[in-house]
Amino acid sequence: MARTKGYPEALEKKLKDQRFYREDSTPDFVNRIEKISRTMAHMCFQCGTCTGSCPSAPRSSYRIRKFMRRAVLGLENEALTDPDLWLCTTCYSCTDRCPRDIAPTDVIMAMRNIAFTHDIVPVNFLKTVQAIYKTGHGVPNNDVNRAAREKLGLTRDPPTTHMYPEYMPGIRKILDHYHMKENADRIVKEREG
Amino acid sequence: MMVEKKKTTTKKTETKKQEAKKVAPVKQEVKKQAAAPAPAAQNAVAAPGATTQKDARIGVFICHCGTNIAGSMDIQAVQDYAKTIPHVAYVDNYKYMCSMPGQTLIQKAVKENNLTGVVVAACTPRLHEPTFRTATKDAGLNPFRFEMANIRDQNSWVHMHDREGSTEKAKDAVRIAVAKAALLQDLFPKSVPVEPAAMVVGAGVAGMQASLDLAAAGIKTYLIESDMSIGGRMSQLDKTFPTLDCSQCILTPKMVDVGRSEKIELMTWSEVENVEGYIGNFEVTIKKKARGVMTPKEAAAKGIVGGGCNGCGDCDAVCPVIKPNVFEVGMKPRKAIYINHPQVVPLIYTIDFNACVKCGLCVTACGPEKRAIDLNMQDEFIKVKVGTVILATGYDIFPIENKQEWGYKRYENVITSLEFERLICASGPTGGHLVRPSDGQTPMRVAFVLCAGSRDNTGIGKPYCSRFCCMYSLKHAHQIVEKIPGCVPYIFYMDIRSFGKMYEEFYYRIQNEGAKFIRGRVANILEDPKTKNLHVYADDTLLDRPVDMEVDLVVLAAAIEPKADTNRTRKLFGVSCSQDGWLLEAHPKLNPCGTTTAGVFLAGVCQGPKDIPDTVAQAEGAASAASIPIHMGEVELEPYFAQCIEEKCAGCGMCVNLCPYSALSLVEKNGRTVMQVTEAKCKGCGTCGGFCPGGAIWMQHFATPQIVAQIDAFLLGGEE
Ligand SMILES: Cc1cc2nc3c(=O)[nH]c(=O)nc-3n(C[C@H](O)[C@H](O)[C@H](O)COP(=O)(O)OP(=O)(O)OC[C@H]3O[C@@H](n4cnc5c(N)ncnc54)[C@H](O)[C@@H]3O)c2cc1C
Ligand code: SF4
Ligand code: SF4
Ligand code: SF4
Ligand code: SF4
Repeated sequence: MARTKGYPEALEKKLKDQRFYREDSTPDFVNRIEKISRTMAHMCFQCGTCTGSCPSAPRSSYRIRKFMRRAVLGLENEALTDPDLWLCTTCYSCTDRCPRDIAPTDVIMAMRNIAFTHDIVPVNFLKTVQAIYKTGHGVPNNDVNRAAREKLGLTRDPPTTHMYPEYMPGIRKILDHYHMKENADRIVKEREG
Repeated sequence: MMVEKKKTTTKKTETKKQEAKKVAPVKQEVKKQAAAPAPAAQNAVAAPGATTQKDARIGVFICHCGTNIAGSMDIQAVQDYAKTIPHVAYVDNYKYMCSMPGQTLIQKAVKENNLTGVVVAACTPRLHEPTFRTATKDAGLNPFRFEMANIRDQNSWVHMHDREGSTEKAKDAVRIAVAKAALLQDLFPKSVPVEPAAMVVGAGVAGMQASLDLAAAGIKTYLIESDMSIGGRMSQLDKTFPTLDCSQCILTPKMVDVGRSEKIELMTWSEVENVEGYIGNFEVTIKKKARGVMTPKEAAAKGIVGGGCNGCGDCDAVCPVIKPNVFEVGMKPRKAIYINHPQVVPLIYTIDFNACVKCGLCVTACGPEKRAIDLNMQDEFIKVKVGTVILATGYDIFPIENKQEWGYKRYENVITSLEFERLICASGPTGGHLVRPSDGQTPMRVAFVLCAGSRDNTGIGKPYCSRFCCMYSLKHAHQIVEKIPGCVPYIFYMDIRSFGKMYEEFYYRIQNEGAKFIRGRVANILEDPKTKNLHVYADDTLLDRPVDMEVDLVVLAAAIEPKADTNRTRKLFGVSCSQDGWLLEAHPKLNPCGTTTAGVFLAGVCQGPKDIPDTVAQAEGAASAASIPIHMGEVELEPYFAQCIEEKCAGCGMCVNLCPYSALSLVEKNGRTVMQVTEAKCKGCGTCGGFCPGGAIWMQHFATPQIVAQIDAFLLGGEE
């Protein structure tokens, strides 16, 4: 009687062919990752120390070990289109402990790099780019912070681009060199109209 | 054939001479050999110093090694080229030169073509040099008339995809080998008598088994153990997988046998101090550390009739100094005068002089009859002569606190598996009750962390698999299920390596008994400061979910590493280690008990992690290998020793000090001072030969003209 909402669709999804076929993999994916990350991603032996160390894993569906597996098998499409790719906090706990001395964090960063070339980036990351372009900070200072700093006997702004705006052109030059701002603006516009 | 006969006769006279005189008159022997060379090599024999060989006739035999070589180079091209090399009188190729037909081919060619030397272009001398030397000998030549060109290991395997390049390189290798072969001389291995005694270093189960076997074969065996008792790690274990027999029950009878055997001279609390000599004639200096307590025998020697330690323990009762007992992994106290455990062999107390305050209470307690204690005892040095040696120095537990994420030594309830063995053992510090170190409570949830520090490439742990931790952790799971009703073992693993006979069946049994297996390496452990419980963090990789498991006790299956003193000991015997630190066997598959030092063998974990069945098997293998030279009575030494060309020697004596093996000395001969080589001591390292400013040292088989000819052949491409 009690029909769960969306039941037929969920069932259909569950029953669809889930097998992994050889054609699903892009063999050179791991090579490109290793070139960017400079870590031996293909040597992962799936021990799970990374996921066990990850502060993101118990709070989300993000599983770093699964991304390592996708790297090993060359499952490029699956890795790049999984929104979990953007849930790593880059804390480097996994890198500290991996017994194969791999830097999973850097593998994630490499995958994000490759994803960006396909315009696969969450909007909040693009907005960060825009914020850096504008202020030199991913999270710019705000009034609440300023008041807290004052209370602690600090300057209202930290000794960064906030205090030395003359360094902003340098930062913009770097971002422009990589077309970061340009692409961020374009993608945000496409998504948000 | 004539050569062969000649050689045997010489060998016999030589041996007789050795018996008569201690200094081996090898010089004469070589002269005699040179005076009666084999007919085939009549004019080929050059005296030390000869540099040319006009009428050498060399045969070149190129091996395909199936497709190992033939698959990566043009054999026909190499063969065609070889025909053009000076001195080459015959060339052939075959699919497997090392096979019977291949060897017959060599023999036939030598006889039919009157060859004076043989070059086989093939795999590597490592395995087949002896094969082809024998073939050369069977063909009627001196076996040292053979030279190998390495065209597989150093060529076809390296340049697998460069056919042209490897063909050219093979041509070079053949040309170089022919250049040397043309100058090779007849050499005659020297036989030396073998001292009919053996030494075993380390008295764990490996060393004990090897000693018992040697003794059973009638060989006098010195068994050297650095600890106060024999038994090694196995005496610390409670039960043994997969049969679960009690470790002490199966070990103690062996320990007693070792103690009783008339052929075994047991020296505990002793170390190897110095080693001189070579196979058949090792002179080993043993340091008998001052133990402070005399055995009945030692007491008798000092005229104390009926005295010496009888193991009563009266001293133990009065000694005021308390120290942690290392045998109990520090979990039980002992006195400054102590025994490891009640079953020690020999049952003689030992004083830890680093702790003893010399109060003399024990001396009084021991009493005027036994008078076993001597607080002023000094280290003693004893020299023994043995023919062969077995190293069985075992292992230590890796200091797992170095892997900080698991909190060993920071959290009280994180222990190692060796501590677990002592805690679960009825003779251990808790009488066999497994308790939490923090509060003495019985744990109801126990986590086992496998591969703790093993299979670790971070540079902190060990890259290898420690090989018995999977199995003993299964055993531990069984023990707690059996002893503590309701207690659940959680085994965090990457792979369960249950490879031995009845091992997989043991895994099945333990799972059936209720152990829970979680496939994931433990990421880190945190302690609840209030309850001292532990949170084990991991990834259940099969469920694809992170795990936070609260348990009462964590057992780390810590990696193992070579015993602390291993490096010093192995260097004394000239034994190498592999890059992981374990002692290096002569060949990983075909000679796992031997080493590259003739007469020195390996047994047990010192060669690499292995459980008791494998340890005992290797120990029996090593004992058998070590008894062969002793039963043969004499061994042949490779004739690669230095020779002095006396006419050229200025008698400066500088080489004497350079020789790392003290094989050289200066002697007076015909009114001149010249250098003399004790050939049995010379290892043929060439240090002296490369140094001598007058060029007066001739390194047999690696003589300067031979090497120069090889270099010329390479650089000048065969031109004069
Ligand atoms: C927790 C744990 C549980 C185990 N459980 C099992 C089991 O259930 N079943 C099983 O098959 N295996 C088990 N093993 C493995 C077993 O301990 C080894 O296979 C075995 O002890 C190896 O014996 P060994 O003689 O090679 O080395 P060791 O036992 O280490 O003996 C070496 C001996 O040499 C002495 N020595 C070292 N250096 C010198 C020196 N320079 N001079 C003189 N003496 C020296 C040492 O003092 C020691 O007595 C277990 C291991 C551990 C750590
Ligand atoms: S810790 Fe390293 S080896 Fe283990 S699963 Fe993660 S990346 Fe792979
Ligand atoms: S670096 Fe990223 S993947 Fe690694 S532990 Fe931290 S959050 Fe997890
Ligand atoms: S002399 Fe040393 S060993 Fe003897 S009782 Fe005193 S402290 Fe103990
Ligand atoms: S035996 Fe098992 S626990 Fe020990 S290192 Fe090997 S795989 Fe790991």
